Amino acid sequence: MIRRGFFMGVLFCLAVVPGLVTPGAAEDYSFDVSETETKPYSLGGYAEFRPVLIDQDRGAAFYKLKFYNRAKTWTTDEYNSKLQLEGSYQRGISKLYLRANADLNNTYQGWDNDLQIYEGYLSVKPSQSTDIIAGKKVMRWGKGYAWNPAAFVDRPKNPDDPELALEGYTVLTADYTKSFDGRLKTASLTPVLLPVYRNLNDTFGSLNHLDLAAKAYFLFYDTDIDLLYRAKGSKPGAYGADFSRNISTNFEVHGEAAFIAGNSQTITDKNGNTAKKVFDAKSWLLGLRYQTEKDATYIAEYYHNGGGFAAGTMTDYFSFVDTAYASYIGTGNAALMQKAVNLGNSGYGAVNPMHNYVYLRVTQQEPFNILYFTPALTTIVNADDRSFSLSPEIMWTRITNFELRFKAMFLAGPAGTEFGEKAGNDRYELRCRYYF
Amino acid sequence: MLRKLSVFLIIAFMAATAHAVDGDALLREVDRNLEPPSYEMYRKLINIEPDGRKKEFVLYMVRKGNEKVAGMFLSPASDKGRGMLRLGDNMWLYIPNVGKPIRITSLQSATGGVFNNADILKIDFGAEYAVEKMEEQGEEYILHVKAKNKTVAYDRLNIWVDKKQKLPVKLECLTEKGMLIKTLYYKEVKDFGDGIVRPSVIETDSPLYKGYKSVMIFSKIKKRDLKDEVFTLTFMPKVDTLR
Repeated sequence: MIRRGFFMGVLFCLAVVPGLVTPGAAEDYSFDVSETETKPYSLGGYAEFRPVLIDQDRGAAFYKLKFYNRAKTWTTDEYNSKLQLEGSYQRGISKLYLRANADLNNTYQGWDNDLQIYEGYLSVKPSQSTDIIAGKKVMRWGKGYAWNPAAFVDRPKNPDDPELALEGYTVLTADYTKSFDGRLKTASLTPVLLPVYRNLNDTFGSLNHLDLAAKAYFLFYDTDIDLLYRAKGSKPGAYGADFSRNISTNFEVHGEAAFIAGNSQTITDKNGNTAKKVFDAKSWLLGLRYQTEKDATYIAEYYHNGGGFAAGTMTDYFSFVDTAYASYIGTGNAALMQKAVNLGNSGYGAVNPMHNYVYLRVTQQEPFNILYFTPALTTIVNADDRSFSLSPEIMWTRITNFELRFKAMFLAGPAGTEFGEKAGNDRYELRCRYYF
Repeated sequence: MLRKLSVFLIIAFMAATAHAVDGDALLREVDRNLEPPSYEMYRKLINIEPDGRKKEFVLYMVRKGNEKVAGMFLSPASDKGRGMLRLGDNMWLYIPNVGKPIRITSLQSATGGVFNNADILKIDFGAEYAVEKMEEQGEEYILHVKAKNKTVAYDRLNIWVDKKQKLPVKLECLTEKGMLIKTLYYKEVKDFGDGIVRPSVIETDSPLYKGYKSVMIFSKIKKRDLKDEVFTLTFMPKVDTLR
């Protein structure tokens, strides 16, 4: 029944395609002046439908946390739809910008809807060197593709889909940029004020702080260099740096390092006794991007997450989940399971919660001369416990403004490992996106 | 005998030098006829498939000197807001969803199709290539040029130049070993005003993409003075505010 629903969703998605295909036309090249007209406003966005089929792992810790008080199932299906609207209005040196996101999802939890302003700010540019911005904005600091340990004022991105739009924080910020002749070509300063109070950035950290952060950027010896800083406030103080440089026309290297002073972590033993650990977290990332002559692009990254959990600590948590689940099954008392869920939300359930990871993504642009067809293979390996995910995908963008992506994900690892204890064994996802 | 040989060698050396200078001077003249050193313009890129289906992109572009080129996609909706920047040999792509510039290579293609990033963010031929040989063929010169360094997209170019207009007619992009990567055809010479008279259409095909064709149409080319700060990572998402 579930599989039939998923395949109906896929068929619905594919049925839309023929209606969007425009027939071929004779060779007439025209460039209408109206296509270059400037307007003070713009409105656009995309609509998305994303059916997902997940093959659940009923023995996994995170399956137990999700389904302990629900009907057991081998497979679940999801029907996710999204509308993202983007608009702007420009007048003189000022620009208003808005990106809103609406989700309507039907998952194992039932129907759910959500409306968020991802970004919404006023930008004033008194000169081409200066931009003052007030409002909700995504800062996107760091040079890593899958992870950004130095993104001190951003929400963490999902390494399984790093290019997804994120929700920003409400900030007062500015960019001041200066260009030079010589080895130092560009220098730029970005200070950020981030207020954290009730109903204002209250998910960022502890309340009642006016946080200060800053980024200095340099293009020096053809190398992008950022120095990053966050003062102690809602979150611990943090220092970071990153770089990116082309070694040759088809070979780029990048790196990122972050030092978080007094990082705190709640850990549990296998019986659920928790303790708070405070330590200085040193995280770093090294990566490369390489393009072959045959248009295959390799992105490889090694990430050390200094704020992550050690393998033993993670194993203790999984043991605690098993204990809590056995207690729930035996007594019907959900107190321990709820504690395990809360611990999952506080860090154990993060996308990649442990210390060392390897990321590799291979994308083949237009193989066999098939235009707008891009297959890719991505793997994330937990270098501590050797568990991993493997995600083949194909992207098809032949029809103007229409994007079709099919992605599968297979998780592998024995019991007690990160990917071995995720709720699903494998998942299949079709994403149909129409831009307007 | 020795004196005769010396005179011959000197004349041969002078002739060779004069020939090379002519070729490089012609290349510089072609560059200036194609684009002013600092400008703004609109371009439409059309990718045409063997069955005639098309995909079109419209870009707004600015350039300053031989180091700095920036552009932003105005359409289609799926690519709107994407920015491109070239600073010397460095190239970046800004994708609105990603929210930050990422380094790209000259061989990649931001639009798919036969044009790559180097074609879109092109600077003067003379800045990247030196003339190795020049031939005359009817109404055209053929310039055989070689890359000055390894950072360019194509190791060698053969450029057919109209003798009267000093504008390119055809251009072949080759690898170091002489393998043809693509051919560009310059068409429909148009007066854009302000002394800019140049081909308004470039067609390209490639043996690597048999049956496919890409076309670049130029519009509203205007000389414009621009600040250096326009060509920076922080300005990439804002290039359209120059329009």
